[in-house]
Amino acid sequence: MQIKAENLNYVYSPKTPFEKTALDNVSFTVNEGDTLGIVGATGSGKSTLTRHLNALIRIQSGKIFLGDVDLSAKRVDLKEVRKKVGMLFQFPEYQLFADTVKKDVEFGPKNFGFGDKEAACAAEDALRSVGLDIKEIGDKSPFELSGGQMRRVAIAGVIASKPEVLVLDEPTAGLDPVGKREILSLVSELKKSFVKTVIIVSHNMDEIAEYCNRVIVLDNGKLIADTTPDELFNRSDVVDNTELDYPHTVKIKRMLSEFGFEIDSPALNVEALVSGILGRLKS
Amino acid sequence: MDENARVSNEVVIKADGVDFSYRSGEYVSRGVTGINLEVRRGEFLVILGRNGSGKSTLAKLLNGFLIPDEGIVTVMGTDTADENKIYEVRSKVGMVFQNPDNQMVASVVENDVAFGPENLGIPRAEIEERVTEALETVGMSEYRKGSPNKLSGGQKQRIAIAAILAMRPDVVILDESTAMLDPKGRREIMDTVMNLNREKGMTVVLITHYMDEAIEADRIFVMNDGKITASGAPKDVFLNYDKVKAAGLELPVASKVSKALIEAGYDLPFAITDEELAKSICRLKQKI
Repeated sequence: MQIKAENLNYVYSPKTPFEKTALDNVSFTVNEGDTLGIVGATGSGKSTLTRHLNALIRIQSGKIFLGDVDLSAKRVDLKEVRKKVGMLFQFPEYQLFADTVKKDVEFGPKNFGFGDKEAACAAEDALRSVGLDIKEIGDKSPFELSGGQMRRVAIAGVIASKPEVLVLDEPTAGLDPVGKREILSLVSELKKSFVKTVIIVSHNMDEIAEYCNRVIVLDNGKLIADTTPDELFNRSDVVDNTELDYPHTVKIKRMLSEFGFEIDSPALNVEALVSGILGRLKS
Repeated sequence: MDENARVSNEVVIKADGVDFSYRSGEYVSRGVTGINLEVRRGEFLVILGRNGSGKSTLAKLLNGFLIPDEGIVTVMGTDTADENKIYEVRSKVGMVFQNPDNQMVASVVENDVAFGPENLGIPRAEIEERVTEALETVGMSEYRKGSPNKLSGGQKQRIAIAAILAMRPDVVILDESTAMLDPKGRREIMDTVMNLNREKGMTVVLITHYMDEAIEADRIFVMNDGKITASGAPKDVFLNYDKVKAAGLELPVASKVSKALIEAGYDLPFAITDEELAKSICRLKQKI
């Protein structure tokens, strides 16, 4: 399923003194199979944009197509839309609510009309795919689990309904380095088996560089770049003109270049940077 | 400020054989065990550890929020377990927390910063002076008359730091105070903290799991499973990467790169900062 946004505009509190433009004529396409990063400073419109994707926000002007479903149409089957686009909010562990892990994960599928048996199966599958065993923790309270486990249960709760697209808002915020890596490799795994398309909102450029094949940049509600991480961090001046950061490895590459040591590699992760340095040392 | 002049031998906080566990009814979960640590005046000390390693528990023991089950914590000689002196302890050791929104008490920035000294019974004129100085130190003077809820996360945390500074503490502890901020906010706080320590000579204890915040520390303590598993100057601690890894932490990027180059047979020093790494690579190129 392809996602297509056309000339999207959104204004908060229109025609009041508090009027604020959150999205300003935003157009882009997400192809099936993409891992798309959405980046931009706090307040640039990232959350407003992602909330449009599963119709949590009504479109004010412009269009969004999820496959052939037009979200700006008068009548939209919201249930169908939300089943197709699963959304994981920031700090999702705070959204767990049921008295057992099993019930929490089954809640989504049941709401989308799965029968009891089907929902139980879906929950077991989803928990397994996030590395948790339903036999071990299914009857526990989600609040007895560690922070990392709770975040996994929250992810299971979203993918149990078998969405085609998974939208993650700052999925690693507040996690330590090992927790971050676990969640991101989990997302990569899910992308191979469970979901077709992943959209990640993040402030962490290291993650965007390492995990996304495409990235769009929002600045004051405007889409100012739609490109690959390599282009964004190595070949454009977008980063310098916004409050974005470079991935740490690219920072090192740039510092080396200031010292007259140029590297060919885009250096989007440690391995690429090291092999770029080794290549240059040998030449 | 000269490095040697900045850190003195005076011990401001001392933890000696400290154990602490959390209890609720029958349920006991371990916080920390066997903690020995000294904080010296003027020092920038970092406590590193993954989620659940006990680092925040340790921070709360250092200013008497928690009292040890075993062992003793003293703040400038005063036992934190002495109930009569707990206010004295807390006015000497100020603490900034994780969530900026939970730390604002007033609807105007200057009132928020004045709240602490007002509670200490400081005369009005001096409070004015302290507020002015504290806001200047964190670079927020122009927001003095504004409302805290219009500020960004980084700015709110700077106000929280100013509110602590207005109490004129001897030590400032930051308990994961950058964890909820975006990269810009994190930079603001780290710049503020470095300025406080390097220019004003304030003793700082920073609790974090971000390696890049630990690079400039005088000393690092690594916590894992409630215990201190490594300590020393950043470079010495990071050189011991098995321990860093066992604690669920990752080396700084510059260290990872220099380690990979050393393992590939190149002769260059183990680096912890980007600049060190870049310079040593250029030197290597010239030699070849």
